Amino acid sequence: MSFRHLLAVTRKEMNHIVRDPYTLVLVLLSPTILLLVFAYALTVDISHVPVAILDQDRTQTSQAFVQQIMAGDDLDLYGYVDSIDEIEDLLARSKVKAVVTIGPGFSDNLYALKGISLQINIDGTEPESGGYAVEHISLRATEFVDDLLADQIRAIGIDFESFDPIDLRVRAWFNPSLKPRNDLIPGLISMVLGIPAMLVALTIAHEREHGTLEQLLVTPIKRTELLVGKMIPYLLVGLVNVIFIPALARVLFKVPFNGNFVLFFILSAVFMAAILSMGIVLGVFMKTQSAALALSFLMIFFPGFFLTGIFFPIVSMPDIMRMESLFMPGTHYAIITRGVFLNGVGLEVLWPYTVFLAILAFSFTAIAAIFFKKRLA
Amino acid sequence: MQIEQPIIQVSGLSRLYKEVRAVSDLNFVVQPGDLFGLVGPDGAGKTTTLRLLAGLLSISEGEASVAGMDLKSESEGVKSRIGYMAQEFSLYAELSVVENLRFFADIYDVPVGEMDQRMERLLGFANLLGFKDRRADKLSGGMQKKLALACCLIHEPKILLLDEPTTGVDPISRREFWNILNQLHLAGTTILVSTPYMDEADRCSKIGLMYQGEMIMHASPREIRQQIDGEIVILLTDNWKKAREIVSNFPGVQEVQTYGEALHIIVDDADKRIKQFERNLKKANITHQGLRSAPARMEEAFISLMHKMEERDVV
Repeated sequence: MSFRHLLAVTRKEMNHIVRDPYTLVLVLLSPTILLLVFAYALTVDISHVPVAILDQDRTQTSQAFVQQIMAGDDLDLYGYVDSIDEIEDLLARSKVKAVVTIGPGFSDNLYALKGISLQINIDGTEPESGGYAVEHISLRATEFVDDLLADQIRAIGIDFESFDPIDLRVRAWFNPSLKPRNDLIPGLISMVLGIPAMLVALTIAHEREHGTLEQLLVTPIKRTELLVGKMIPYLLVGLVNVIFIPALARVLFKVPFNGNFVLFFILSAVFMAAILSMGIVLGVFMKTQSAALALSFLMIFFPGFFLTGIFFPIVSMPDIMRMESLFMPGTHYAIITRGVFLNGVGLEVLWPYTVFLAILAFSFTAIAAIFFKKRLA
Repeated sequence: MQIEQPIIQVSGLSRLYKEVRAVSDLNFVVQPGDLFGLVGPDGAGKTTTLRLLAGLLSISEGEASVAGMDLKSESEGVKSRIGYMAQEFSLYAELSVVENLRFFADIYDVPVGEMDQRMERLLGFANLLGFKDRRADKLSGGMQKKLALACCLIHEPKILLLDEPTTGVDPISRREFWNILNQLHLAGTTILVSTPYMDEADRCSKIGLMYQGEMIMHASPREIRQQIDGEIVILLTDNWKKAREIVSNFPGVQEVQTYGEALHIIVDDADKRIKQFERNLKKANITHQGLRSAPARMEEAFISLMHKMEERDVV
């Protein structure tokens, strides 16, 4: 492989990216924009969560309690319900995100210093809102008990700090495993960094459509020089994203970054090499840009949703899909990003995934080089 | 004197696209220093022939060698020895003139020390010195062609394959382009150029006439003109449709070709037939603005040959 040829292709391709404002914006900003859209859609700032009350106590105390938990903008009182059937109906039709059931002995138990017991049913399909309601209610309930009973408790000599008066029973319907979003954003990063790979898939078809491929094929350039030379600029702009996307995740979404950034950067470069070489394979096989675009959506972007374990755990997939997800660079990179961001682990844990990514990068490039013919037809 | 080996040798060369024969059983040689014109209408197989010789298409049948290298086994070796210019503009639109040249200089491994000097010389040669930093897509059609030529000359190839380099270019740029080709020809470069224009064919030292995938003749321009077995009479008249009917049925008339309002009539004896035409046109009340004999041109010879081929196909 001639370094001069490689550099010539890289420089040319870089000029193409930098001089076409659309390409530049696509490569530099779309991963960020996509991350923002996905992440905000999934972790919006929550307020005015509609909540219904089933009050079986019907005392002044329970009335006061409802007023206390509904104060402010966080929750909106949708109304009172009379039966458990109604609860299910309201949740199923998404009229409310949570229903608080105040049991019959609410005020009696409270004044007997037995604490209070509440049941909260939430809509598990939107765990964000439901979870928020639960958190909010438990906080307000503690305040309520404090205000009402603090003096009394101290008077009888119980250590107030160790007194835990609230017994919340939360039932999430429709999606019992509430996933925290911290876990989602590192996964999303592995998906949005696939964008440069979609663009690199287009470049060969672009040259074919504009006739420049013909002039290139007639030169003594080697196939690997051409293909690798095309990937390098996209690797570089991809790595720009690798720098500011974690920063964004940290600042905007408060996702902790517990690992080593230099390690993360290097592993991200390995991932980029793997996903870009996958893009190059698609580019070699597709003759037109539109076909290359459609296929790269199918092969790079969508699998990011389904096969990489971002949204659906890989262990729950049928075997054949698990096999397929092994060949998706995003699968391994999602594990790496989570590991570095959340668990703060290093190569001692992540090396198998890194090695696999390197193997994928090498194999995809080899496949592309084998099937890319230096002929027109 | 030692007889030189042909620099391009083609025997029985065919290329099939599925069932269709784009070119069929081509046989010709190009000698070093030839300016060889591939002439023929659209779809005759000129582009396919050039792409085969450039190693861009695989050979279906037959043999071909360029610069002594067999295209079947050494097509990558051929590539560094030729300059090839595609019919359509095939440089990088978003790169400047100099950047395009530099790119190809790098790819062809032009020695770094010589690069600037060569680029300067080629840009001067192509009259592009004033446009060094202009983006390729902002050049005129003629300038784009000259830049493309400069790019395929950067490694100083001995052989040039040019696919309709002047199609879609204004007449002045066309002439300029051909003057450049003549200079290269004089400097000893072997040039294989395809063209649909007969006036350009006349500027070549050898011509291969292509028609429907076959090379129906290859010879010097003079030999091709001599294919016309007879003399040419040119008749200029407003009423050329009627006149055509009258002269077509004359004894001794082989063929009538129409060029605008002029009829080019191929006859056995020009002087004798001109007198007869004169009489008969007068009888039919057709006035004319000129009736004279003329030397046969490439165009008439080529059309005449094509007519014969068409008749052959019909039979």
